Order: sequence, then C-alpha cells, then structure tokens
Amino acid sequence: MSSAISVQHLTKDFRIGIRGLKLRAVDNLSLEIPRGQVFGLLGPNGCGKSTTLKIILGLVTATSGNISILGHPSATSEARRRTGFLPEAPYFHKFLSGRELVSYCAQLSGVDPSKVDEAVEDALSLAAMTEAADRPIGTYSKGMLQRIGFAQTIVHDPELVILDEPTAGVDPVGSAAIGRMIHAMRDKGKTVVLCSHLLGQVEQVCDRVAIMDRGKLVLEGKVDDVLARRDQHVMTIESLTPAAREAAEAALCVHGAKVTSITHPRRSLEDLFRELVTGSRDA
Amino acid sequence: MRRSSPWVIAVALILGAGYFSEYSWKAVRPCIPEIGRKELEPTLGQGVLLGIIGGFRTVIADLTWIRSYTLWERHDRPGCEALMRAACALDPHSRYFWENTGYAIGYDLAHWEISHRGGYAKVPKETQERLFRAFARRGLDVLDDGLRYSKSRLPLLVCAGQLADIKLKDSALASRYYHEAAILPYAPWYAARIAAHLDWDQGKRLEAYQWYRGYWLARMKDVDDGYPDDLVQIREMENQLKLTPQARIPKQSWEK
Amino acid sequence: MKASLQRTTWITRVTFLEAVRQRFFAFLVILGAAMVLSSVSFRVLDFGHGELKFIADFGFGGMFLFGSVLAVVMTAQLFFSEMDNRTALTLLAKPLSRTEFLLGKFFGTWAVLGVFVLILSSLLGLVMWGREQELLAAAEQPGKIPVQFSAGGLLSFAILQWFRLGIVIAILLAVSAAARTFLFAVVMGALAVVAGQLQWIAQDAVLKPTQNSLYGAFLWVTSRLIPNLQQFNIGDALVLEPASVPVDAVAMAVASGGFYMVAFLVLAALIFRSREI
Repeated sequence: MSSAISVQHLTKDFRIGIRGLKLRAVDNLSLEIPRGQVFGLLGPNGCGKSTTLKIILGLVTATSGNISILGHPSATSEARRRTGFLPEAPYFHKFLSGRELVSYCAQLSGVDPSKVDEAVEDALSLAAMTEAADRPIGTYSKGMLQRIGFAQTIVHDPELVILDEPTAGVDPVGSAAIGRMIHAMRDKGKTVVLCSHLLGQVEQVCDRVAIMDRGKLVLEGKVDDVLARRDQHVMTIESLTPAAREAAEAALCVHGAKVTSITHPRRSLEDLFRELVTGSRDA
Repeated sequence: MRRSSPWVIAVALILGAGYFSEYSWKAVRPCIPEIGRKELEPTLGQGVLLGIIGGFRTVIADLTWIRSYTLWERHDRPGCEALMRAACALDPHSRYFWENTGYAIGYDLAHWEISHRGGYAKVPKETQERLFRAFARRGLDVLDDGLRYSKSRLPLLVCAGQLADIKLKDSALASRYYHEAAILPYAPWYAARIAAHLDWDQGKRLEAYQWYRGYWLARMKDVDDGYPDDLVQIREMENQLKLTPQARIPKQSWEK
Repeated sequence: MKASLQRTTWITRVTFLEAVRQRFFAFLVILGAAMVLSSVSFRVLDFGHGELKFIADFGFGGMFLFGSVLAVVMTAQLFFSEMDNRTALTLLAKPLSRTEFLLGKFFGTWAVLGVFVLILSSLLGLVMWGREQELLAAAEQPGKIPVQFSAGGLLSFAILQWFRLGIVIAILLAVSAAARTFLFAVVMGALAVVAGQLQWIAQDAVLKPTQNSLYGAFLWVTSRLIPNLQQFNIGDALVLEPASVPVDAVAMAVASGGFYMVAFLVLAALIFRSREI
C-alpha cells in the first residue's frame, strides 16, 4: 500500500524583488508519511513547513521534485477529493451559518447531493458544533471557528487530513478538544498531518514527527523513539525520607549506577489549567 | 500541448474580440454623433471627458454653455465661440444650443470684432460690411450643422433665413430657408410671406405669386380667420401683375 | 462537467451573497437611485435639451459612474478578500479548479451588477414614464410634441450596460490574478475602464487609411487589445430615438461584449493558474 504522502527531492525557490534573487524555502526534501497515523511536521518560523504543505496541496508549484498523495499525483482532482485541509487561523464568510459553510464545502468537495445533509451532521457532531451550527459564523469565538473549520475539513470523509496550526490562538480546553478530534480521526483509520509550533501538543497527539530547519529535514521518526533517552531513567517515589534516599543511593552505587538529580515531579501548566477549568464557554 | 499554447490562444481570443468589435463599432458609431467632433478640439477637456463618461453629456453641455456666458461678459470672441460650438457638439440634438450659437456668431461677434479693431468710427464701412457677412456666413454654417442633427428644424430654418437675409444679404439663400420653414408643420405665418416677398424682390414675381397663392389656398384659407393680411399681400401682387379677374383668387365672402 | 458546473454555481452563489450584503453595494445603489430620482428636480437647471433626454442622461451617467466603480472596486475586493483572508486556501485545496473558482467569482459579481443595473434602469424607466405622462398631458397646444421614451430601448440599454460591466469584471479578474495588492488592481482596473472608453479614438483612426505604417500598426494593436467600451453607450439613441438605431447594432455590441468577456476570462484563468496562493 502506498504512503499517505510521498515527497521525493522536493525543492522550492522563491524569486524576490525585481532582480529575481532566489530564496530557497524547501531544499531537496524527501519524506514518507505512512497511512493511518498522526504525523507532526515541526520547525521554526520560515523553515519551509507551510510551503511544503502548500506544495502538497497544489497551492504552490514546486521548483523540482515529486509528490504523491495516496498514490495519486498531488494537485490532481482525485488527490484533493481524498484530502481535507484546515489552514492556519481560518477565516470563513461571516454571513454564512456554520451549517451553511459545512454544506457549501461538502458540495465543493464532491459529496453526493443526496448525502450532503447526513455528512454535514456527522462532521458537525464530530467537531462538537451541532448546537451552534445555525448561528452566523461572525458570532463564533476563535475556538468555535477552529472547530467549524475542522468540520468543513472532514465533511467529505477524506482519507488524509492536513491541519496547519490547528490550535493556534485556541485556549487549552479548546486545544484539548481538537486533540480529541485528531485522535478520533486516527481511530477511524485516517491519516492526519499536523503542522504546529506547540511541541507539547504535538508530543501528545502525534505518532511520528519530522523536524525541518532552513528548508531541510533534520529529523524524522516515531515520537517515542525520538524523545526517549535510553541511557537515563526516571523513578517516581512517594514518602522519600533523607535516610531512605541515602540507602537508595548506596544500593544503586553498589550496582554501578549513579543518581544525578532528584527533583519533585511537576505537572504542566496546561494540565493544571485543564484540571481547574472544566470547560471554556464555547466548548 | 506546449506550455505557451494556452497563452497564444488567449492572445488570439483578445485579438479576435478586437477584430469583431470593429464590425460592431461600425454598426453602433452612427448612434453616437456626439463623440469625435471637430468642434471639440479647441476644448479638449470637454471632449476627453465626453469620451470617457457614458452619460451626463447634457450636464457637461450645460456647464460648457454656462462657461461661455462668462466669456460672453468679457467679450472674449474666440473663447466664447469655441465653448458655444463645444456645447453644440456635446449635445448635437439640442435646438437651443445651435440656434443661440448661430445667432450669437452671426449677429454679435462682428460687433465685438469691430469694437476690438477700434470701433465703428475707426473701422471703414466696407470692412464692417465684410465682417458682418463673414460672421453671418459662420453663423449659417453652425445652423446648417444643427439642421443635420436637431429634430427641431423649424426654428433653425427661420433663424438661418433671418441671418441670410439681414446680415449676409443673400436673398436667394434666405428664400430657400424660409420656403423650407414655411412647409413644415406649425410654421409661423410670416415664413411664407417673407419667402414670397424675397422671391418677388429678386424679380421672380410670377413664381412668387403662384407659390404664395398656392400656400394661402392650401394652408391659410380655411384656418382661423383666413389670414386676411396675407390675402391683402396676395391681392397687391395680383394688382401689380395685372392679372385678369379669372386668374385671381376668387373674392372671399368676408373680404371688403 | 455537471460536477464542475455545480461547483462553479456554488462559488457564484456565495460570491453573490457576499457582494449583495456589502454596505458598499447598498451605498452605491442608494447613491445611483438618488441621482436618478433627483434628475426630475435638476431639470429646472437645464436648458437646451428635451426634458426626457436630460432625465435619461442623468440616469445613464449614474449607471455608468457607479456601475463602473462597483465593477472595479467590488471585483477586486471580492477577489482579494478571498486571498487575504485565506478562504481561497481552504477552497482551492478542495477538488475545485482555479478556473471554476474564477468563473464563480465572475458570475457572482456579474449577477450583482445585473441587480444594480436592473434597479437603476427600472427606476429610470419609472421616472421617465411619469414625466412623459405629464408632458403628454401638457402638450395640448400645437407645436409642442414632447419626445417620448422607449421602454424597449431602455431594456436594450440596460443589457448593453450589463455586458459592458461584464467586460470590466473580466478585465479586473485578469488584473487581480496578476496583482499583489488590492490598490494596484483597483488603479489598473480604473485605468482600463478609461482606456476602454477612449479606445474608439484608435478604432476610428484604424478605419481611416494612414500613410505611416508604424502609426498604423500601433493603432491596429491598440484597437484590438483594448476593448471598446464606448460602443455600449448608445442610451440616448436607444431610449429617445429607437428608430435611429440599426436593427443589428445592439446584437453586434452584445456579441462583441460576449467575445471580450470570454477572451479576458481565459487570460485571467491562465494568469491565476500560475499564481502562488
């Protein structure tokens, strides 16, 4: 079975100014994104990840290289029909209601007219937007915009979902909701490609990650493999007295091991926030 | 298909559309007599504005006419004439502009020119006469132009007849204008009388009488009071031509 | 083909809805309507013209001026709002071709301008009809036969204006597809309208023989690359003297408008195809 996305020797040069100076945004990038996984594409601003996504979606033409989506050349109608895309900070026509927008996108994505209503309801339900679906988009909060954007992305039941900074500007509760949607997509066997700055979130939801810097791929692999430090271990101990600590250190020393640091475990601020705030107003 | 092929097709389509527009323009062009007229050349601003906009032409013509009044006050002959002609060109269907421009050029501008040259005492009589005739001819040219575009021909013909008679002193030409005016619907009573008298004075006495008689019988006899003053004129012609009673218009019941 | 048509229709629909809800559209419709209605009052300042001609001319002026502003600004605005707000990213990532997107924008905007032309020409027709009735009633005395207006001629004129605005929209889309900023597109579009209105000078010159071959070539190219927008301004003749308009003149002008629209839309689609979004 072919990869969800296969990128071969992709290069993109932008011409700047009237003298036509070249700026290389993507430099000989090769990448295989397997099916059925959540894939995180990371990197600092200007590293070329958004350009890569746009080239994959056919919104920008590559200078050289080949891309295929689900076995089809990218930018073809067939590839797009099987792909859903949520751009960063999405904006939609304010005068449409959420339901109208999702229905409009379903029609554009080639959903069978007889199945549009059903598809719209499913998408709204997955994005937890059913209640607010008949309100004009102009009245939505940032989180709701992101969720309705997610609904329009998945309304045609795509096999591949590409999300560009899906949680940018969204509060932690909304962010967690989007995380749950991503997991739900993976559970349905979809491939999700996620482009984000929020490393904590990527770590939580992604199966694999790739890191780009200055247009080049610098690292790619499973999240666990990439993050684990095999030469060190963490133990969590309760009721550690000074005597117990000394005894433990001595016992470890006998076996050639050395305790390098002892600290109190910390929960993340995001965890604390989610613990204290039961739900955002629009959740 | 080569990469340049679609661009070649696009350029070919635009050129093709341009080529076709030559034919559509030929069909449409006579419906827009306002644009591209020589009279607008001295007043380029109005001409360009007219070319650019697709309406407000009457408004621009009005404004141009009003501007000509300010130059009129200053007796600026070239400026006033240019603006008046421009107003005519901007709205060639308007009788008002043609009539007043013809009058102004034919009657007034010669006086301004004489004043400009030092006044009536200084300019010799022959020069004055030559100037009156020259400006009358120019006024008539404006009126002739107006007759081609304006639907209100009658006042323009009467105006041209007066100008040809009084200022140009061309009785034959004046007669032609009056004759043409007299036969139009709602022609003023004096048009036929002046036309007949102009012919009479040129020595074409019998033709003048016959035409006037025919006109009176056809258009005056049965209208209102029968135009007694015109019948008096016709009787005078009959007397002078020494016509027999049978050849004259039969005596009318109301005639003294 | 059917699916493509459906997608184009959806873009058209949303573009139309977006455009008619804009305050700018409402503002210009109100301004144009006020101009048509006020022409009855302004006619007292007029001299030298037939009353109906003055009213008609005022209406034509309003339709031309505000229609052109709408066509230029609204087309550029609708196009750049999709680009700047990145809704185009969302839409074009779907199985929607760029040509379908552009055609949808075109037909949506053209439909809005159709509504604009319809409102103003209906209003103008009503005002002229009302004044015509008054003039007819007052024309008892001989020698005062008022000019009458032709409703059919007004309809033909409205269609011609709609086609003229269609050309402007198509040109604007081609300019916008290449332009980076809204302001540049609007300025270039306005210049294109002015050039189109003055193109007849070159076209008239082309029809006359010229000795200078270089000048002749320049005129030939100019008269073919720039659309002739003046050919749609025959409102005076159509509405007040319909008999003076040749039978085929309106049909020829409409056909010419259709050709120009297709040509500039093809150009716009080609430019937009290579645009990076």
